[in-house]
Amino acid sequence: MDTVKVEICCGTACYLLGAAKMMDIESQLPEGCRDRVEIEARTCLELCERDNLGGAPYVRFNGTEIMSQATPEKVLARIRELTEGNV
Amino acid sequence: MADDLFIEMEASQYTKSGQAACGDDVRFQTVEKENRHLCALSDGLGSGVKAHILATMTTSMAIKFLESNIPTIEAAEIIMDSLPVCEVRKIGYATFSLFDFRLGGRARITEMGNPGYIHLRGETEISPLSDRQVVSAHWPDREVRECEADFRVGDRIIMCSDGVTQSGLGVRKDMKFGWRRSGVLAYARELIHSEPEISAKELSAAISCRALQLTPGGCKDDITCVVVYMRRPRVMRILSGPPYYKEHDSEYARQALIGEEHVVICGGTTANIIERELGKKVKVSLSEMRRAGGLPPVGRIDGIGIATEGILTLSRVTTALEERRPPMEEPPAARAILTRMMAHDRIEFVIGTKVNECHQDPNIPQDLELRRSVVKRMTAALEKNFRKQVTINYY
Repeated sequence: MDTVKVEICCGTACYLLGAAKMMDIESQLPEGCRDRVEIEARTCLELCERDNLGGAPYVRFNGTEIMSQATPEKVLARIRELTEGNV
Repeated sequence: MADDLFIEMEASQYTKSGQAACGDDVRFQTVEKENRHLCALSDGLGSGVKAHILATMTTSMAIKFLESNIPTIEAAEIIMDSLPVCEVRKIGYATFSLFDFRLGGRARITEMGNPGYIHLRGETEISPLSDRQVVSAHWPDREVRECEADFRVGDRIIMCSDGVTQSGLGVRKDMKFGWRRSGVLAYARELIHSEPEISAKELSAAISCRALQLTPGGCKDDITCVVVYMRRPRVMRILSGPPYYKEHDSEYARQALIGEEHVVICGGTTANIIERELGKKVKVSLSEMRRAGGLPPVGRIDGIGIATEGILTLSRVTTALEERRPPMEEPPAARAILTRMMAHDRIEFVIGTKVNECHQDPNIPQDLELRRSVVKRMTAALEKNFRKQVTINYY
């Protein structure tokens, strides 16, 4: 099965608006899917510059899917869906 | 100062066990317009607060007198006349070692009561060009030694309080008279032999630490070691903020090509410019994420340097510099920058001036300072508190 790539934006705006709470998200991953998730901190995804994406903090899944106003709960739920193929 | 020379002046100190204040004091002063570097070390009579007052009075006055070119013997007499008299010992006394060097000229070293200075060129000890003893008319029992030295690139001058040369005294059988000046000299040579470019900071720390180790059971006297080292400056560069004009991105990114150990990229957009223009990738490990501790994590760009978030991290670094907080107490990103700053002599800021509009979002829970004002504050703290050379280049 393919790995799910999760990129967390650590730019100033994203960090202050909630990305700081996602720094240890790897430890909260469900047991069964840890080896199928690749978590990466990104210096800046440059998404906050665009005004129609919903607002920081941003997380990107598999290089294309953007989650705005991300929280650890929302990110973990999406990871669960993607790893279970329940899209 | 000539662009290619730097005078590194550093001191390392331990306070006598059980005392709240150190009875030795060191003061540095750089007179930029005269290319002149001054240093004063004083050991106050006794220990604790009383000694501390004597020593700080001495160094403060000495630096002022040196700066004003008052003849040394006259300055020494004024200092001795001014010091408060100890109730117990009925004298007012503090030793001193003064270093005065004007770039392109000779170094003048004036000593009273402290162990004799050490002048090293590599591992070789250099004798003074002139060496004379002057006796004060006011204080016939106090001898002042005045030396002139040919201080060149690569040379080091070591000055100590007697807490260094007398360490081990009475405790170790193999050191009947303590470590002595000869012991300090041998140890400094040994360190320079194994690390020829050892910095003044590291050398002074190593000597005072060795003095402490030679005295088991705690520090018996205040220990101070000063090292002055003339050498080519170690240059680091901090790139932060995107250039105002996008067409300058490429030239801006190339400023980061001075060696991995000497570069910090501060800011997400800045890191992205480096990635794009130099074809490199920022890597942030999971362990860096876990131990980020209140600031965004530190990333690495292979072959370029380290990458951190911008304004939050730089603001934190600025406060630490202003308050002289030890780097080890800071979160990893600020610590990484501070450690690099301390390991370099000249800090070159390469600052992009484009304003990040996202930082003006009213939802952001704290005020974010403008990059330019943070850099200005950082420059002042680096120059004043750490005697670094700082340049700023705007893009």
